[in-house]
Amino acid sequence: MKSPAATRTKKPRAGKSLAGLEKEKKKLNEYIRDKVNQLLTVMGTKALDEHELDESDFLQLDPIGIIALSFEQVLEHLKETNKSLGVAKNQLQAVFDTAGVCISIVDSDMRIVNCNEKQKELLVSDRDEIIGHHCYEVYCGKESPSLDCPAIETLATGRPVLVREVKKKSRHFQIVTSALKDKAGNITGVIEVSMDVTEKKKAEEAMRQAEKLSAIGLLAAGVAHELNNPLGNILGYALLALKDPALQADQREKLEIIVEQAKKGSEIVKGLLNFSRQSQPLFEEISIEDVIRKALKNLSSRLLAQSVEVTLDIGDMPRVMADPKQMEIVLMNLLINSMQALEGRPDGLIKIAAGKKDGFLEVSIKDNGPGIPKELLPDIFDPFCTTKPVGQGVGLGLSICSGIIKKHNGSISAGSAEGAVFAFAIPLERKN
Amino acid sequence: MTKDIMLDIRGQICPACLLITLREIANNKFSLKRGQSRLVVKTDHRDATRTIPGAAVSMGYETRTEKTDGYYEITIEYRK
Ligand SMILES: Nc1ncnc2c1ncn2[C@@H]1O[C@H](COP(=O)(O)OP(=O)(O)OP(=O)(O)O)[C@@H](O)[C@H]1O
Ligand SMILES: [Mg+2]
Repeated sequence: MKSPAATRTKKPRAGKSLAGLEKEKKKLNEYIRDKVNQLLTVMGTKALDEHELDESDFLQLDPIGIIALSFEQVLEHLKETNKSLGVAKNQLQAVFDTAGVCISIVDSDMRIVNCNEKQKELLVSDRDEIIGHHCYEVYCGKESPSLDCPAIETLATGRPVLVREVKKKSRHFQIVTSALKDKAGNITGVIEVSMDVTEKKKAEEAMRQAEKLSAIGLLAAGVAHELNNPLGNILGYALLALKDPALQADQREKLEIIVEQAKKGSEIVKGLLNFSRQSQPLFEEISIEDVIRKALKNLSSRLLAQSVEVTLDIGDMPRVMADPKQMEIVLMNLLINSMQALEGRPDGLIKIAAGKKDGFLEVSIKDNGPGIPKELLPDIFDPFCTTKPVGQGVGLGLSICSGIIKKHNGSISAGSAEGAVFAFAIPLERKN
Repeated sequence: MTKDIMLDIRGQICPACLLITLREIANNKFSLKRGQSRLVVKTDHRDATRTIPGAAVSMGYETRTEKTDGYYEITIEYRK
């Protein structure tokens, strides 16, 4: 379209009639009105009525000027809106990313649209490309969605679904899915929120174990008590029978087996009693050196058989108030652990040291075995924490030690440096 | 302490209410934006109750229209 100005310059000025000028002015007016209306429509309002204003009033208002100023404000408003949208988006992204739960958005085709950092951390370990890929492939490592997938149900019904527990990539999750809908109410995707309940599950497990433990403790105490007498009798009568000079060799052999097995049985009973005994220590003045030597004597034949060398480094030691039987249990457990760690080594060495330190009596036991795996260290004093096969260990030894030392107001620690180091300390003075 | 700027365009042979209101908004932009004043437009033009709020909202203002006896009162103000 030609602009009115261009039309005008083409025509010779001199030959212009008044009517012609009027006509041109009208045309110009219409042009301005037309543009004003266009601009007003852009601003979101209805165009001006044809008859709303007569020509001269209309021009006098300076409509273009007014609209220019108004547009300035419209633009300012848009800029501000944009800015606050940007801020809101950043805030949302931050919330999204720092949320303690995994959040993922998938489309109706189950392709990932977005996911937060937590989701990546826990459920995407082995890949960079996530967006646009199927969620069951990335998060669940499957080629097709599983039948009980909550996202599928939500996509089909539009209703939220809660899955109490599901195992993915060796962690436990609680999952909630809810539908994303467009303005018309059509389901366009699913938001999946997964909460990592692995720790909670572990805690529950520990609770159950603790309960089991105290149940075992009660049972053990009862059984041990009841078994002690019959075991004593079996042993006594077997020993008596062995005294009979008329015994045949094979009868003697069988009786010896009975004696041996009855002794083993009472050892087990003793162990159970130790474990179940929640009793307070019976404090008396003892020499820790005596206790150490006693423990070593108990184990001497095994130490010899395994050819483990033991060194003792004991300085001038005061006597301390402690329960000698319980201290012996602690030392036995630590020494047996070391011996088990040294099994099969020709050069096994256990170093025992005892000394005074800051008002405490400190005893350390160090071996040159394989040491303690780093991931085991934090839980090593927990009951049932064990790396040993069934029959060789149940994981109670160190938890018993830690219980005893705590009752003596002391502390016990485990470390690993070219073998394992265990150290415990109990106060030299007993306060009432 | 918001001051009301009154703009009475009732009964005037002035149907271009929108343009006049827009001019008033432009003239008072700073005090409006700072929340020092609001613009109260009185009009008996029914169409204006749609065009004025439409334009004001796209400039970031809030509007409220009340019908009083025989005319409309449109309040335009800026809220952060
Ligand atoms: N000296 C050591 N060297 C290496 N690992 C050790 C040592 N002492 C303990 N551990 C590790 O700590 C775990 C827990 O020890 P703990 O004495 O509590 O239980 P356990 O020896 O397995 O069983 P239990 O003592 O009940 O027979 C062991 O299974 C072992 O893995
Ligand atoms: Mg042990």
